[in-house]
Amino acid sequence: MKKRRLSSLTTIGLSLSLLLAACSSTTNTSAPNTSGTTTNAPAAAQPAATEGGTLVVAAPVEPDTFDPQKSTWLDNTNNQPYDSILSRDMQGKLVPHLAESWQVSEDGKVWTLVMRKDVKFQSGAPLTAESVKTSIERFAAVSPNKDLAGPIDKIEAVDAQTVKVYFKEPFAPFANMLVGTFLAPFDPERLKEKGDKFGEAPLATGPFMNPEVKRGASVTYAKNPDYKWALPFAENQGAPYVDKITFRFLKDDDTRILEFKKGTINILQEVPSTYVQELQAIPGAKIEKSMEQGMKYLGFNNQKEIFKDVRIKQAIAMAIDRDPIVQVALSGFAQPIFGPLPPTIPGYSEKIENMAKDMYGHNVEKGKQLLAEAGYTDTNGDGIADKDGKPLSFELLLPEDPALQRVAQIVQSQLKEIGVEAKIAVHDIATLKDKAIKGNHELFLLYFGLNDPDILYLLMQTDNSKRVHYSNPKVDELLAKGRTTMNEEERMKVYEEAQEILVKDPPWVPLYVAESVTATRNIEGYKLNPFTGDIPFGDIRITK
Amino acid sequence: MQRYLIRRLLSLLGTLLGVTILIFLLVHLIPGDPVQYLLGEHPTDEAIAALNAQLGLDRPWYVQYASFVGKLLQGDLGTSYITGYTVWQEIVERFPITFQLALYSVILATVIGIVVGVISAVKQNTWVDRLVVFFSLIGISAPGFWIALFLIWIFAYKLPIFPISGYDGFFSLILPSITLAMGEAGLIARMTRSSMLDVIKQDYMRTAQAKGAPHLWMILRHGLQNAVIPVITLIGLEFGALLAGAIVTETVFSLQGLGSLAIESIGKRDLPTIQGLVFFVAFLFAITNLIVDLLYSWFDPRIKYE
Repeated sequence: MKKRRLSSLTTIGLSLSLLLAACSSTTNTSAPNTSGTTTNAPAAAQPAATEGGTLVVAAPVEPDTFDPQKSTWLDNTNNQPYDSILSRDMQGKLVPHLAESWQVSEDGKVWTLVMRKDVKFQSGAPLTAESVKTSIERFAAVSPNKDLAGPIDKIEAVDAQTVKVYFKEPFAPFANMLVGTFLAPFDPERLKEKGDKFGEAPLATGPFMNPEVKRGASVTYAKNPDYKWALPFAENQGAPYVDKITFRFLKDDDTRILEFKKGTINILQEVPSTYVQELQAIPGAKIEKSMEQGMKYLGFNNQKEIFKDVRIKQAIAMAIDRDPIVQVALSGFAQPIFGPLPPTIPGYSEKIENMAKDMYGHNVEKGKQLLAEAGYTDTNGDGIADKDGKPLSFELLLPEDPALQRVAQIVQSQLKEIGVEAKIAVHDIATLKDKAIKGNHELFLLYFGLNDPDILYLLMQTDNSKRVHYSNPKVDELLAKGRTTMNEEERMKVYEEAQEILVKDPPWVPLYVAESVTATRNIEGYKLNPFTGDIPFGDIRITK
Repeated sequence: MQRYLIRRLLSLLGTLLGVTILIFLLVHLIPGDPVQYLLGEHPTDEAIAALNAQLGLDRPWYVQYASFVGKLLQGDLGTSYITGYTVWQEIVERFPITFQLALYSVILATVIGIVVGVISAVKQNTWVDRLVVFFSLIGISAPGFWIALFLIWIFAYKLPIFPISGYDGFFSLILPSITLAMGEAGLIARMTRSSMLDVIKQDYMRTAQAKGAPHLWMILRHGLQNAVIPVITLIGLEFGALLAGAIVTETVFSLQGLGSLAIESIGKRDLPTIQGLVFFVAFLFAITNLIVDLLYSWFDPRIKYE
């Protein structure tokens, strides 16, 4: 019996779900976007919306902590008590939030933030420049993500409203740090009192407060009745309409779906594409689609001798036909992508996307030809190309995510057509990352996401490239330049140049941008900002 | 009895020492490490090295093992890397649900299993017997998640009597307890049946019958009491196993017991929690077994420990 339990413990290690997969996809806000809403168009008029009540959200990932400076994962479940300093509008443009204005010095090394005067902490104390300073300093000292904030030299509270952040060298991605809640100002009194344990009783300026946590199960927040500085794209700038919001962490898909069908959940996040039709048919239910702020790709371990020959990588890229992947494996809930950055990340360039599409459109013949040029042909008639008796056979690693597993099977059969064998190996995400970091991998399916083109630095710069192990001095130079170029237009040009190289000398095969699907029921006012991942819950009213 | 107890306790200590070695090996042999989880997607090499040093993961394995056992001896199960709570706090928070679930399902399974098992033994080779054998096989072999979803579908969705998921007192544990009890009841029924069949053939049963003892009395007093020992062993083992947390059932019903804690900590490679939790569970299992063994002599006075 003991043996049975132990073996079931080890299988869990392997059967890690979607959850963790989701966890690892971004370091910043998980960031889907509303690209369309479909309704089942109820014939009857909508019931009148009311104020008050408890909004129930089924979220897939339970946060480890409610302290954004201690977490590597921030999303709507744990950032409700907080407000960001800047934000982005629904078109992706940088706009003020807690800071009414901001300025970057000529040399790009000094950021001046002027905070709003009317903002109060949930304790009633006013927001001060000093508290902004303290919070950013704490982030730079204790956060596991502190490197994302860049080379901060010192921070100064110039007067009651003005904060100056000094950098050792210019760091453009800092704007995106201000957009997230990693740098949200904390209530200074509470911080002093709780210190390291701030996450147990967070107090800040956000729309919801006083989280009541049932670990492993749920978190419930009460609305902040004095709130009147909502996100700039929110309809309701005042206190939330609902009294409370509960996030329930339901892991089993069947359970989540049944709860939603029963009517106990208002917002069901991460609906598996296979359930969409069923849920759409429910009266009062709506399906909201949103493009993710990252992409899924087929990665190469570029340190492997075989992948140093660019023709092999290009041949594999040409073997991939994205249409069946999107239509069959993902029921149409994705968009094919060829270039290094998806449309939801600044720095996306249509020119690059078209160039990549021209180069790597589905072309089996060209793919075979490239392999032949590299010396690989099928000499023994087993369907697999070989050279000097060595077949083109790779292990294809992927995490335990049902959608990715369907994708892997299609990729496997497509590679077979040009004579490349892929052996599918599914691992839990921790194992997969371990193999990737140590370079014990060949081909793999993974994803990335961040709200800044600096993601390319984090993925491709020689010292940071821990997935694809890519190294190209010219790319390194451009990506480093992208970090220090403060002029937005010039900066995007730098990334365009870098992407051009990444298309010609590909470290990976970009596959698709997934659409994350959310189902809502008996509510109105749901909206999601594609560029920040924020849902202004204060806008939502319960209709039933 | 006393000497036996001392002997058993000493061997328990040996077992637990073995368990610590196994746990430690297991946890350190699985690929992936907590540092990668803690630092997010894009850590620098310096950050990795610094955190490894901070968590003591850069020390040689035998030093880490010694520190693990040393802390255990002081009753310290360690502190979670992820949540910052002590593993003991994590367990105390989650154990009540797991314990209740184990208790209710074992009680339910015992009652059903023994009653059904006895009936089927007494009515051997009749249609009642075949029905019992058939259903207990289904109970044993049906996967837990399937039973769980089936029960949820009927009793929480179609007939909204119970909540679908989540913990909200005794009421919310009824469906999960039935789910777990199904399999256990099947096992207990089969064990009771075969054990009863052995006993029924014994001479003393014929003697009791000849003496004119009432049928039911004879079955219970002379039959069941003698047949119950292997059944108790089984119940004890099953109860011990259930205390480890029912991973599938807890996940489907979204209950925050030890099973879900195990899943989470393994996924995040939270070494102290995995180690502390497995040790705690092994300890409970060993203690439950000891208690069961001691119960034998109470049920059957012929068994004496020297």
